[in-house]
Amino acid sequence: MLDLKNLHARVVPEDGPAREIIKGLSLAVPTGEVHAIMGPNGSGKSTLSYVLTGKHGYEVTGGTATFDGQDLLSLEPEARAALGLFLSFQYPMEIAGVPVMTFVRAAMNAQRKTRGEPEVSAPEFLKLSKVAAAKLRIDPEMLKRPLNVGFSGGEKKRLEIYQMLMLEPRFMILDETDSGLDIDALKVVAEGVNALRSPTRGMLVITHYQRLLDYIRPDRVHILSAGRIVRSGGPDLALELEKSGYDQVLKDA
Amino acid sequence: MQLADLPSRRHEAWKWSDLRAAMVGQETMLVGTPPLDAEGPISALTQAMGDAYGPSALVVEAPGDVFESRITEGDVGQYGTVVVRSGATATMIERIGVSGSRLRPFLPAYAKIEVEPGATLHRVIVQENAVVAGEADAAIVLNEAVVKLGAGSTFRQFALGEGARFARFETSVSVEGEGVTVELNGVYLASAKRHIDMTSRVAHVAPGAHVRQLVRGVARKGGRGVFQGKFLVGREGQKTDAEMAHNALLLEEGAEVFAKPELEIYADDVACAHGNTAGQLEENAVFYLRQRGLPEVEARALITRAFLVEAVPEWVDESLRSVIEQRIDAWLGTSQ
Repeated sequence: MLDLKNLHARVVPEDGPAREIIKGLSLAVPTGEVHAIMGPNGSGKSTLSYVLTGKHGYEVTGGTATFDGQDLLSLEPEARAALGLFLSFQYPMEIAGVPVMTFVRAAMNAQRKTRGEPEVSAPEFLKLSKVAAAKLRIDPEMLKRPLNVGFSGGEKKRLEIYQMLMLEPRFMILDETDSGLDIDALKVVAEGVNALRSPTRGMLVITHYQRLLDYIRPDRVHILSAGRIVRSGGPDLALELEKSGYDQVLKDA
Repeated sequence: MQLADLPSRRHEAWKWSDLRAAMVGQETMLVGTPPLDAEGPISALTQAMGDAYGPSALVVEAPGDVFESRITEGDVGQYGTVVVRSGATATMIERIGVSGSRLRPFLPAYAKIEVEPGATLHRVIVQENAVVAGEADAAIVLNEAVVKLGAGSTFRQFALGEGARFARFETSVSVEGEGVTVELNGVYLASAKRHIDMTSRVAHVAPGAHVRQLVRGVARKGGRGVFQGKFLVGREGQKTDAEMAHNALLLEEGAEVFAKPELEIYADDVACAHGNTAGQLEENAVFYLRQRGLPEVEARALITRAFLVEAVPEWVDESLRSVIEQRIDAWLGTSQ
């Protein structure tokens, strides 16, 4: 489903020299699987998520990234979203003056329009929203407030998953979704994520810690270090990391 | 009054809006104008124009009255006085339209307003400009109100300005009674070859006023926005609570915004603040919306629209609010 071959990418800051962060990364996530990417700080985890979703300031210098065989890298971010690529941000942005529901409905309809599907009707949208909010134990009043403005870290993460449930993406990238969550919130968020697991979807879970993977069980675990996958394995690899730490596992790699 | 009498960029209050330069070629508009006096050039220019119809005088005695005036390119100026009697409430709506149908439109308006003790006046100005952005736009739009507020009165104003070759909206409020409420909000949209100036002054010679001002503006390449705001609190203005904010977004390279927020305070027990920002759209926010599927143009428009609409007050009634929002959407290029 998602295929990365020998990907090289660099960050191009507005002020300062470009730095190569992804250095020959290859990875394949087959349809229906959940893969985890673990790695120390600065290994390129967030950069990978931005490169795949097409953020400004990130430049691919080599290799390929395809989604169902289609070249991702030549597409605008919104076109990638319409294909079904969703990023749950590590730090979701606050958007003043735009209520959550207004925004999600606009996003939903924009995606549908691109795919040539009919718009979602207001009653249909409200119904979907009610179900998603209940699943994530989100106060419906929160959905009338401006997007993420004044929300706590946990609320923002919950709202990312709410958007995910509403938009029903085909491939999800979760970037450090566990950061800022207490254990109860983590369980709720994981339940929401698991609700979207299906044989027709794929997922990339980026995390520092093994904890999240207790709730979202991966099919494969990859260790990212200095911009490359240095080791891959089954779910046990995450446990090994937790026990021995990155230093030890990287030494063995 | 002659061309040379008009204020130019050498005058502090007009340094970013050079009226004299703008009026070159429009000298016929100076014919019959009275000599320039303390009331300033807009008053003088409007009086001469308004004389064609005679000055208008409006006295509001009943509560809930709504007055609407329209100035279009076919009209001459509008010069008048408005008195809102004690206990009365009124809404004054000024629609100013530039259509591009005339060669060199000149649209001046000047109003002397008195809000008596306990009375309320809401004033909404909607200045549209239908000339296609970037095309030669020769209109000059001048609008000034001088407002006197009695004790316990309320004056709220909102102005939408789309600008013209030269457009200036000037409001001078004098707080003459205790415990007044003032709101002076505005939104300006400066596209290419447009100049839009929002200037205001609130002078306090009585205590306990509550003043709020929020002006939001956007400018594109070749467009120029000007904000000048002054709160002057005299020794008699104790317990004044006044906040001024002006925020602008420069949407393209080559957009210009000039701002001068000013506080001049002689009373020692007041709460006065001002904030002023001019910046660009937050690119990370734009990316966030695009990642969810919104096309770039829509993502930018959504954020910009929300930014502007925050300055449109709740008290503006639904139908007028939708006109204002439609103008904003049209300007942002997202109207259906």
